[in-house]
Amino acid sequence: MNIVVFIKQVPDTDNVKWTENNNIDRANTDCIINPLDKQAIEAALNIKKINNAHTTAVTMGPINAKCILKEAIALGMDEAAILCDSKFAGSDTCSTSKVLSGIIKEKYPDTDLILFGQSAIDGETSQTGPATAVRLNMPFITHVKEINISDNDTLVVNQETDGYKTTYRVEMPAVLCINNYAIQPHIPSISGYMKAQDYEIKSYNFYDLNLSETDTGIKGSPTSVVKVFRNEMHRNCKMLDEEKDKNYPDFIFNEIKKVMEN
Amino acid sequence: MEPNGILIFGELTNKCGLRPVVKELITKSRELKTKLWNQKISVCVIGPRIKYDDIIKELEEYGADEAVIVNDDRLKDYNTIYYSDIFTQLALKYPPRIILAGATYIGKEIAAYTAAKLETGLTADCTDLSINDINLLVSTRPTFGGKLTADILCKTFPQMATVQEHIFTAEKTQNKSNINVIFNWIDLDKTENKIQITERKEKNSGHRSLSDAKIIVSGGAGACKDDGFSLIYQLAQRLGAAVGGSREAYERGYITKSQQIGQTGTAVAPELYIAVGISGANQHIGSITNSKKIIAINNDPEAPIFNYADIGIKGDLFKVLPELIKKFD
Repeated sequence: MNIVVFIKQVPDTDNVKWTENNNIDRANTDCIINPLDKQAIEAALNIKKINNAHTTAVTMGPINAKCILKEAIALGMDEAAILCDSKFAGSDTCSTSKVLSGIIKEKYPDTDLILFGQSAIDGETSQTGPATAVRLNMPFITHVKEINISDNDTLVVNQETDGYKTTYRVEMPAVLCINNYAIQPHIPSISGYMKAQDYEIKSYNFYDLNLSETDTGIKGSPTSVVKVFRNEMHRNCKMLDEEKDKNYPDFIFNEIKKVMEN
Repeated sequence: MEPNGILIFGELTNKCGLRPVVKELITKSRELKTKLWNQKISVCVIGPRIKYDDIIKELEEYGADEAVIVNDDRLKDYNTIYYSDIFTQLALKYPPRIILAGATYIGKEIAAYTAAKLETGLTADCTDLSINDINLLVSTRPTFGGKLTADILCKTFPQMATVQEHIFTAEKTQNKSNINVIFNWIDLDKTENKIQITERKEKNSGHRSLSDAKIIVSGGAGACKDDGFSLIYQLAQRLGAAVGGSREAYERGYITKSQQIGQTGTAVAPELYIAVGISGANQHIGSITNSKKIIAINNDPEAPIFNYADIGIKGDLFKVLPELIKKFD
């Protein structure tokens, strides 16, 4: 079977650096594989271990996003490809899903299973996976925790959402969005890194896809960001210092009591 | 047909009542429609064959102008394909200007499916909605890991957005008018269903629910070490409070998904929110701003959480929490 995992390069949002003008300093903020996409890679590799699958990692992004594909190869993926074109820049989830479904149609038409991370830490929309599935006319399941293959073309999938644990049977080809996968991602081995060093990443551009210029990038994106701002302060905070204001426990006690007795 | 009005996904609870987010979205839509020539607010309810009288009455009380109901016993349990397909068919039949859904697991799936089918834009997890000078929807949401907030426009119709529960406040309307009810039959046999549910179990996390808690004690990355969360539970128990946490606390296994507060978790609106070791990324802040009072405990005086709190304690939570616990013994 053939598995494609779509991964995204994201800034390490836990360690963001700021410019003087309160913008994110993207050049100096480290980029990593989106954590949930790493779980999707782990899921693919786990299926491969049991069912002998061919696994491919694909990302859409700038040329330096190749580093996350190298990491995917080091982790054990068989193949890696980048979708890189200035015509893709500024894509929202709508046009991104057109590009991703486009590459499946044109270059990976025999794909049985497509995996996504549930969401990316920089956008957190959870939309790209389902939208890609719709464009490929494939069924999709989100919040997937476990995947088993029951026979050649049926998956048994465990999902965990807020209130429920659900088990599904779904026919392949299908799209699954991974969240809190049952097995933690592993760390690449030395031999994995060596393999990655020699691996030549496949590169595709706009002309490899059967799309028009109005499908991708800013032109193809129905949504656009019109304003970005850092949140303003909106409450006046009375500050207490644990070391200096020795009576703070009494003060807080009274504040909490007021609410409890209200 | 010219796109007209606001269509809301009328998500039901497992007990077949309206989810609070539906009433919140109707309330917000009353404000939006005043800038949209008072176009109608429609709510689409999908569910099993039950009596819808109470639901319709409630929709009317909150100010919906129209209820579109699709009922079939195959719709008793949520099924992605059936629900999404029905909602998309209705959006095509009655083309709306705006589509809103709760940013719940179900609402987000349906919205993503519908947006792709209708070739339109969708903005997820909005914290505010408004109408601009040229009558377009402005969707405001945290972005970049919650470090920034963005205003987003959509140039195609319908303009779609999802909003978390408890971000907006639900209020009954003062000028109630008669709601128009449409029962819409859709032939489910035509929908190719490639997904079968083989088992569905309700999870009982054993934790106090966040949604009706008067007080919430919540832990972040700073509490994810030693006995940080054990101290949080000890304080919560003394206050009769529910325990929540940030995304980090969830990812590191200190809390369950239903306890996670923030953009990818739930939003809360308690009387008092006590943030312990939470630095205050936008994605967390956006989901707690409706709290009446916020107390923050953090050892970093520069932590953004202090900008959003009413009372801040600069100090080590491992010293502060035991002091507070002692006071309530």
